[in-house]
Amino acid sequence: MSLIKTDNLTKTFNGTNAVDGINLNIREGACTALLGPNGAGKTTTLNLLTGLMNPTKGKISFDKRYSGDRRKYLGYLPQYPKFYGWMTGIEYVVYAGELGGLTASEARTRAEELLNLVGLTDAGKKRISGYSGGMKQRLGIAQALVHNPKLIILDEPVSALDPIGRREVLELMKRLKETTSILFSTHVLHDAEQISDDIYIIQDGRVVINGGLEELQKKYQQPTVHIETEENLEEWSMSLESAPWVRHLKAEKQKLTVTAESIEDARNALLTDERLRQLKLNKFEIEKTSLEDLFMEVTK
Amino acid sequence: MDEIVNELQAVPWPVVAPIIIIQFLLMVIALIDCLRRGGETKGPQWVWILVIVFGGIFGPIIYFLFGRRND
Amino acid sequence: MRQWIILFKKEVKESIRNFKWIWIPVVFILLGLTQPVVSYYLPDLLEQFGGLPEGAAAAFPVPTGSQVLAETLGQFSQIGLLVLVLAFMGAVAGERNNGTNIMILVKPVSYASYISAKWAHMVLLALVSFTAGFIFSVYYTFLLIESVPAAHIIQGALVYGLWLTFVVTVVLTLSTIIKSPAAVAFLTFGVTITLSLMSSLLPEIMTWSPGMLSSHSHSFFMNGYGNEGFWLSLMCTILMIAVMLSLAIYVFRKKEMAVHTT
Ligand SMILES: Nc1ncnc2c1ncn2[C@@H]1O[C@H](COP(=O)(O)OP(=O)(O)OP(=O)(O)O)[C@@H](O)[C@H]1O
Ligand SMILES: [Mg+2]
Repeated sequence: MSLIKTDNLTKTFNGTNAVDGINLNIREGACTALLGPNGAGKTTTLNLLTGLMNPTKGKISFDKRYSGDRRKYLGYLPQYPKFYGWMTGIEYVVYAGELGGLTASEARTRAEELLNLVGLTDAGKKRISGYSGGMKQRLGIAQALVHNPKLIILDEPVSALDPIGRREVLELMKRLKETTSILFSTHVLHDAEQISDDIYIIQDGRVVINGGLEELQKKYQQPTVHIETEENLEEWSMSLESAPWVRHLKAEKQKLTVTAESIEDARNALLTDERLRQLKLNKFEIEKTSLEDLFMEVTK
Repeated sequence: MDEIVNELQAVPWPVVAPIIIIQFLLMVIALIDCLRRGGETKGPQWVWILVIVFGGIFGPIIYFLFGRRND
Repeated sequence: MRQWIILFKKEVKESIRNFKWIWIPVVFILLGLTQPVVSYYLPDLLEQFGGLPEGAAAAFPVPTGSQVLAETLGQFSQIGLLVLVLAFMGAVAGERNNGTNIMILVKPVSYASYISAKWAHMVLLALVSFTAGFIFSVYYTFLLIESVPAAHIIQGALVYGLWLTFVVTVVLTLSTIIKSPAAVAFLTFGVTITLSLMSSLLPEIMTWSPGMLSSHSHSFFMNGYGNEGFWLSLMCTILMIAVMLSLAIYVFRKKEMAVHTT
């Protein structure tokens, strides 16, 4: 079921569109990734969704179950979360919870629960000014969750972290996914592939590709065959061009790369080809392109 | 010597003492704050300590207003 | 209302942690103690060390009680106000510039509460500091010089408190509009100094001005009633405070909160 829909969402800064007609459909219960290189407009999009910025054009609509102040239903972790350094971790989460509408005692219980969840039980009693980047990130996630929002929006939750911190936060997000809808941004495809259900690839303020993770993976996983021979194979390769299983092919002297419709057909056809055998096969390799290649391609 | 003693006796201590005590209090609070935040001052800590101790009534005030990094 | 109290409590807690709640009252107390002592001993001191010609010291008689209280307010209006303005110049701009308000304002927080809680805290701290300092001043004035009717003192202090509230409101409002805390302080001083100067130079056309309030409070100390035009300037000040506070809230609502994206 859809939670938020945006229609032609646009934000212009001094004449340039940082976000340029984006249509999102954030599903309830799903983990959605906004994937894009630096400056693609991810943060701006998220700021528009939270209401911290106003769109220049376009519309954001929440499902009608979620009427009134949208902030009640959202938890937000900014890309560079800034805390009151003079507060302790637990004080901050309690404060955030109370502002989110919890009573003092509810906020207290919830804060302890969340600090435990993000692994800050002991550090929670210390002042935030002494926290490391990873601790702040996890505290930021805790404060985003404190008022039980329908959706948590995390802006590059792992970008600033070292590999260990990264894995910790990704694991945490995997667990959160079970209970909360998540929308997060990243510029690393691998992170998106690990935990998301839906992916939007954004470039220059536009959605270039979007869809379910598996659907995209299927669609863009094209089997490619690399062939190398002793003899020049260019002449032979002409004969392949009309074959029904070939989608695309590139031959150069002793090297050939074929993108196939189906891996089975490609294998059968090539391995039974008498003329290929005569060219003295040196190398025969089948490779599946991944979303990564696609991502590199579109964000080039 | 006698003159100094005379002048010291002439100072209305019961009246002046509270002022000195409170000024001292202000200095102590500023010092505690400065020392407690370690290096978290704008500029070197020892300069601020000098300002607080020798800056008279304004030393601590200037420290509180300008010496601390916001957190 | 519950949320307003939460926001207000946060402001108080912050200012306790960074010692604002100690050092600002202490500065006012120091000012309040010093003025009567200086006024009382100044003729003595001049006589002893001043090397003045014979009889000149007589030109510096010990002032009356109400004069000393007025002089104390003069100290508050200079050093006291300087301290208050500099201490509060970053009230709104500070959190905006360093981004700490982002995670707060994406919670379902009313912008009006956010601003008005800050305002209330600033006013409270200013008034408590002023009261503390003034109580000491009154005590010393009674002790060293003479007593002044309590009703006069209370009325005068209330009037002066309104002037302080006015200045604090100016700081808050400018701090919502302008990014640079230094510019906020500079403009606030500009406004207060202009108002005070104009009021003393051109009292006829400035009867409405908040800058008249200190001279009204002096009159209360002396006579128990304000000068001519007291009610007008009182009403105008209250009105201006209300307008500025609403303006601050309005401007804050209009502003986009997210300023740092990349
Ligand atoms: N307040 C602003 N004023 C002017 N331009 C802005 C502003 N905020 C963002 N931009 C521009 O809009 C574009 C998108 O920025 P945005 O921060 O949304 O990108 P991003 O995808 O979050 O990038 P990153 O991965 O670096 O965080 C950038 O070109 C940026 O320079
Ligand atoms: Mg960003």
